[in-house]
Amino acid sequence: MRKLIDGYYRLLNALLVVTVAILVVPVALQILSRHTPWVPSWIWTEEMARFLFIWMIMIGAMVGIRDGAHFDVDLWPELPPRANALLRVVADVFVLVMALVFIWYGIRFVQFGWDQTSELAELPMTWIFISWPLAGFTWVVFLGERFLANLRLIAATDKAVS
Amino acid sequence: MSGGGALTPSMAALILFGAFFFLMAVRVPIAFALGLACLPVMLYEPRLSPMILFNETFKSYNSFILLAVPFFLLTANLMNVGGITDRLVRLSRDLVGHLPGGLAQVNVVLSIFFAGISGSSTADAASQGKIFIEAQVKEGYDLSFSVAITAVSAVLAVIIPPSILMIVWGGTLSVSIGALFLAGIIPGLLLGLVQMATVHVYAKLRNYPKYPRSTLREVGAALLVSIPALMTPVIIIGGKIFGWFTATESAAIAVIYAAVLSIFVYRELKGTGLYEALIDTGKLAGVALFCVGTASAFGWLLAYYQIPKALLAGVGSWGMGITATGFFIAFCFLVVGCFLDAIPAIIIVGTILEPLAKAVHMDPVHFAMIGIISLAFGLVTPPYGLCLMISCAIAKVRLMYVMKDVMIMLMPMLGVLALTIFFPEIILFLPRLISPEFLK
Repeated sequence: MRKLIDGYYRLLNALLVVTVAILVVPVALQILSRHTPWVPSWIWTEEMARFLFIWMIMIGAMVGIRDGAHFDVDLWPELPPRANALLRVVADVFVLVMALVFIWYGIRFVQFGWDQTSELAELPMTWIFISWPLAGFTWVVFLGERFLANLRLIAATDKAVS
Repeated sequence: MSGGGALTPSMAALILFGAFFFLMAVRVPIAFALGLACLPVMLYEPRLSPMILFNETFKSYNSFILLAVPFFLLTANLMNVGGITDRLVRLSRDLVGHLPGGLAQVNVVLSIFFAGISGSSTADAASQGKIFIEAQVKEGYDLSFSVAITAVSAVLAVIIPPSILMIVWGGTLSVSIGALFLAGIIPGLLLGLVQMATVHVYAKLRNYPKYPRSTLREVGAALLVSIPALMTPVIIIGGKIFGWFTATESAAIAVIYAAVLSIFVYRELKGTGLYEALIDTGKLAGVALFCVGTASAFGWLLAYYQIPKALLAGVGSWGMGITATGFFIAFCFLVVGCFLDAIPAIIIVGTILEPLAKAVHMDPVHFAMIGIISLAFGLVTPPYGLCLMISCAIAKVRLMYVMKDVMIMLMPMLGVLALTIFFPEIILFLPRLISPEFLK
């Protein structure tokens, strides 16, 4: 199971690298087409850039949960490890609620985009909207992994104390 | 958009802010806290549904303007792995290393150079944190001073052009981005000078070390090597002002130029370095921009219940002049900057305060720069100051540990902000001189 999650995480990282890497291409084409006669001014460049961008944000937000990269505010004094783990579990429960909302309403969001196509390149909007429920699903997976780790920490120190 | 329904504005405000602060206190990430705080209201109000969360996040991500964020991050990361940063460190050291507190002076001057190339303060804090904090402590500087000066100097990146905040501000509030770029130069350099003075005082009081003075020849050599890198701001700002490309495109140009320098001129870009640059960019841009989406949904709800209007109802009758209004605006942005990242703050609060600035005939560029400078300071004010959080994470210390030094360093910077409010010319002089057609 751990290997499977690791593999999925690496896949997301690879996709993230790819989206960032090709993000420059459509924008560069757009500039070139305006200033040189050789590059035709495709109208889809701007839209393609935006759609890659949306995927970049959503994948970044997905892996951000596993990396613990989403910024939070720390107003607490230095806590012992067990209390800290407990607090993390509480915070993660709320993130889990958000993840479930993203899945539940995200599926309706995708259905809503079913027969919509994008304005310029006429791509089906489903391709874009699907990243929302996918983010929800990914968060559930990564959160589950962290829940177990934190609960184990709480249980372990329990034994150590008693 | 008509006001409310089942909930009165004050009830809605109570639920929204109450939920947000509660979630923030139990350490739910800000991006999620903002989204979750919207849910009770969206579920309770018959005319709303959580689908709005999806529409609003989608709408804010589907934006050509915000594309500048990953581009400027990528520019910064390419500079670091491609050898550009190293050259600029060398140059900064030859220029100011002989002053008291040499390495800390280099830290500030590098931030000024960096600010002219990348428009992202978080990128500046992340890369300079790795370079300077450990090195400064090794040379005998206090840890909290080192973390603080790294974070505080990083805010210059969004005040000296190019700047992500200027692009977002120009895009959301329809102000000429070219004019904002020019307007940021003088206040940015003033802030840099003030920071160098602060370092000087610290160094004198605490006996921080300095480097031997470089010869003129060494300075010349370092300058010569750095010229291609130092051309970046000229290309970006010039291209924007002459209308060769849009703001977002100028950020893409910065990426391409940094890549060309790294590959063909300095020849230090390797495969692993490129991969690191790309993945770091994706991760930081992803989490930062995800928060912009949920903040937009939160801001949409505030507007739906006309909460800002209720909050500012009395302010119009205070009869403030242009300077008093300027201070009021700065105060609002400084407070908001403590709790929100700068981009969502512009989207939510910039639009709220705009009528106030208009009512006293404040120049839109003046208004924008007061807002941008105040929000830039918000990047190092607790509890939510991204630059400070990044520097602290690199040094593995808690925010509170460095608070005192950050506050000391902010005092003279607040003085500069006050100057720009008293004397709009500091901001408006360059745009008026170079491209008066941008100003109304």
